[in-house]
Amino acid sequence: MRKSLPQRIALNTVGVVGALLFGFPTYWLITTSFKTPGEVLSPRYDLIPFSITFENFTSALSKPGFTTFLTNSLIVTLGAVLTALVAGVLAAFPLARMRFRGRKGFLFLVLVAQLAPIEALLIPLYLLMRDAGLLNQLPSLLLVYMALTLPFTCWMLYGFVKGIPIELEEAAMIDGCGRWQAFRRVTLPLLGPGLVATSVFSFITAWNEFLFALVLMQDQGKRTIPVWLSTFREAFLVDWGGIMAASVIYAVPALIFFLIVQRKLVSGLTAGAVKG
Amino acid sequence: MTSTKDVAAMPAGNTPPASPRVPTLRARRRRKGFGDSVLPYLLLAPGVLAIGALLIWPTVQLVMISFRKLDLRELVTGQLVWVGVSNYGDVLGDPEFWEVTVRTLVFMGAVVAATIVVALFIALLMKQLNPVVRVLLQVTLVVAWATPAVAATTVFQWIFDQQYGILNKTLALLGFDGFIGHSWFSDGPSTLTVIGLLITWQAVPFVAFSLYAGLIGVPREQYEAAGIDGAGPWQTFRAVSWPAIQPILTIVTFLSVIWDFRVFTQVWAIKQGGPDGESTTLPIYMYLKGIAGSHFGPAAAIAMLMLLVLVILLARYIQLLLRSKEVDLK
Repeated sequence: MRKSLPQRIALNTVGVVGALLFGFPTYWLITTSFKTPGEVLSPRYDLIPFSITFENFTSALSKPGFTTFLTNSLIVTLGAVLTALVAGVLAAFPLARMRFRGRKGFLFLVLVAQLAPIEALLIPLYLLMRDAGLLNQLPSLLLVYMALTLPFTCWMLYGFVKGIPIELEEAAMIDGCGRWQAFRRVTLPLLGPGLVATSVFSFITAWNEFLFALVLMQDQGKRTIPVWLSTFREAFLVDWGGIMAASVIYAVPALIFFLIVQRKLVSGLTAGAVKG
Repeated sequence: MTSTKDVAAMPAGNTPPASPRVPTLRARRRRKGFGDSVLPYLLLAPGVLAIGALLIWPTVQLVMISFRKLDLRELVTGQLVWVGVSNYGDVLGDPEFWEVTVRTLVFMGAVVAATIVVALFIALLMKQLNPVVRVLLQVTLVVAWATPAVAATTVFQWIFDQQYGILNKTLALLGFDGFIGHSWFSDGPSTLTVIGLLITWQAVPFVAFSLYAGLIGVPREQYEAAGIDGAGPWQTFRAVSWPAIQPILTIVTFLSVIWDFRVFTQVWAIKQGGPDGESTTLPIYMYLKGIAGSHFGPAAAIAMLMLLVLVILLARYIQLLLRSKEVDLK
């Protein structure tokens, strides 16, 4: 099915236009963050920036509470990733390597849980955290994020452990390793890439989460970055350059992590699907 | 099965190989009994505890709260007031609920349709592109996908800004003077259109890449054979491409419906369901009733109704997933 030259030129032009359309919002986010405030609010038509300044970044960083919100986000996100990872590794090993009653049931539970709409649990989780005295306490958000990422972490790690040939462990056991030793010395190191991919997915999920952060952390000082950013008019008024700079700071970790695991996201799509 | 048995039959732990035969056997039996019956549950315990306490127990609570009267007063006094199905009656009898439901369904339908159509177009296009253009397109898609939702809402608000937004500037430059100072967020439909565009922009990449993966899985010979048989582009698509992507298309459509039905972040961050509640969708409605209004009973009933719709969709989706062999519980 060879296309004629004009056809190919037309198709590629459509491709370039598509790329420009899809790339534009992110391009605009980044370029605006480097424009001087005067330039941002000028009536001039300026698709390509004329100058570069870091003024917006210093102004965003110096907004009251910015570093606190950033720290809050980091604590709940990393805490959730780590706890889910530990529980996930512990669960993945018996799920992939052992036969026991309830195994299929648990796998099914995990599969359902990772697709289930956690938004529907907003009211009971809010009340539970309130009863536990955890409202406006970072651990409550950490726990919710752990619950949010755990099913998916279990599912992914189960798949990764299953992908490592059991013969390797058996060989180690013939050489005199115990089961635990064989797991720790052979399987765990081979699991490295899987652990990285899984934690990156969880990181992105927790880092982007908005609803529970909004509801559970109503105290100003306990906000996370996305919630603070959504109320940008309070802090920035019409300082669009500053808003864009703050958005860039917030987006960069997710963007970098996303690029690392991008290939796995596409290939292992349906079961371990996360929405970016 | 056999491999597991073999593992269990091997000397476990640091049992010295030279030790007498009988004690080893005894030790082995004891270890096997302990290891294979209790160990898996012990290892699963943290996960089961977390899922039980933070997902299953709240689901049970949700059902119970939906049958209770639970406002600020009951919350403070800790009284249990059962009201049967009256929360459901109140919610279902409220015209606002139906207005919001219809709006949510129309919004979701439009966003899913737009996502699927654009993604299918892009997936088919990617196959025809020159490698350089294809990589360029793929990079922009990945970046759109990876941008955190709230960062995306801030930049969309900036692009659609009334005074300095680049969209109004561009439209004015093209001669549409009516758009100078045009506000895109002054009524519900316009606000929801911008939100829908934003969601579509971020949802297309996943769908497009999934479909593209299906397309490049088709052996080249099949296209050549279709060409030799004199099939036109449309016939080739029907006979060769479509069977390859149809199962993927079903799965991603389900996923899109499930995701777009419950979307909260973008809708809330753009306009908090405003102006005048005109862009309020079901998740926003639940939030406003429950958290902002402290009427937890009706809010739980709304959540239950949403959950009911999603459970039906999910059941069908998981059935499809298990059948597609993409997921294997073995």
